[in-house]
Amino acid sequence: MALNFFEPATVLHLGEPRGATTRPAQTTIVDELVLARAKAGNEAAFETLYRHFEAPVYTLARRLTRTPHDAEDVLQETFLEVLRSIGRFRGDGSFAGWIRKVTASKALMRLRTQRSRVPEEELSEELADAIAADRNHGVTPIATAPERLDLEAALARLPNTARAVIWLHDVEGYSHDEIAAMVGKTASFSKSQLARAHARLREMLEPTSEGPCT
Amino acid sequence: MHLSLEHLLAVRDGEATADAAGHAASCPECGAEIERLRTIQRGLAALPEDRPEQDFWPGVRAALAAHRNRRHWLAAGWAAAGLAAAFTLTIGVRGGLEAWHEAKLSRETGELVAASQQLEQQLRTYGSAGRVVSGRTAGTIVQIEDRIALVDAQLSRAGSDRVPSQDVLSLWQERVRLLDALVSVQTSRTAYVGL
Ligand SMILES: [Zn+2]
Repeated sequence: MALNFFEPATVLHLGEPRGATTRPAQTTIVDELVLARAKAGNEAAFETLYRHFEAPVYTLARRLTRTPHDAEDVLQETFLEVLRSIGRFRGDGSFAGWIRKVTASKALMRLRTQRSRVPEEELSEELADAIAADRNHGVTPIATAPERLDLEAALARLPNTARAVIWLHDVEGYSHDEIAAMVGKTASFSKSQLARAHARLREMLEPTSEGPCT
Repeated sequence: MHLSLEHLLAVRDGEATADAAGHAASCPECGAEIERLRTIQRGLAALPEDRPEQDFWPGVRAALAAHRNRRHWLAAGWAAAGLAAAFTLTIGVRGGLEAWHEAKLSRETGELVAASQQLEQQLRTYGSAGRVVSGRTAGTIVQIEDRIALVDAQLSRAGSDRVPSQDVLSLWQERVRLLDALVSVQTSRTAYVGL
């Protein structure tokens, strides 16, 4: 069974209307038999599901949280919850969509509880530098790296909320209303965070250019 | 006047007002901005997938097994003692700084084990009170129990050394922190605790 969970690049076309169709995990098909066995408590089926979703869950957690360690914790907590309550999964909506929702909610919870502990801007900058140094073997920063690494480092530099919102909206395809419900804020908060994220990305990716037309 | 970034995003996402969409369609500069926003979106979506550096399945499986015996670490009693048994009596055979460090780690870990036991005892007391728990609180309790189960799974894999490592010490610290949160939830019935 070939599973292209998070192949969002292939589903985001120029000018395509936003919404459910851009949501990558909806292109995913989970083997019904594996799912049925997992619901019956079959451990081999559990492991099959884990192996299938390990990378997409980790990737989503990695984008939403700050450090690999956070993402590892979110990965484990997500699978524990999903597999523990799989018997209650009724199959309205995709299984992949459910896993993704659990992952996002665990990751957002982690961000919420960390907010008071660390000044996020500092840590994000530090992390971004670490990523850039790592990718470039500590030699040259950003300038000589391929374009997408610039974007990855810039993404990691965003404040937590802006980063989570741009990822959930622009890549995962959640609507502003859905994001608002997930973070406990309003849709207009989500919209302004998305704009903030894009403004910051632009500053970091094109430091010399003027801001967007106003 | 050109569109604001928020309006440009709304146009990109097909959620703009007719006015904004009309402007974007007739203004080359705003059109170019929208195209740039689409490029960023595609770039983000094309970032490579990541994989964890180690295999976490064994830990998840062990934690699941623990969950199947619901509240195992409460029902069994003194779960902390069981997990800690492997290194409770460590006296440095070697001399000097190393032995001192080992003794310190053992002592600190021992203190955490004792704290774990005390908290577990408290939980058994509250657990038997049979009070009604709201859905939200129940969800929080299960989440904390999940995390304790994950810590326990790591501890039982790490617990065979005679001297606890720094990692083991950290795990015990995490365990005490989680048990403490669980006691707070049980006593105050607050659904939200700072985990
Ligand atoms: Zn314009």
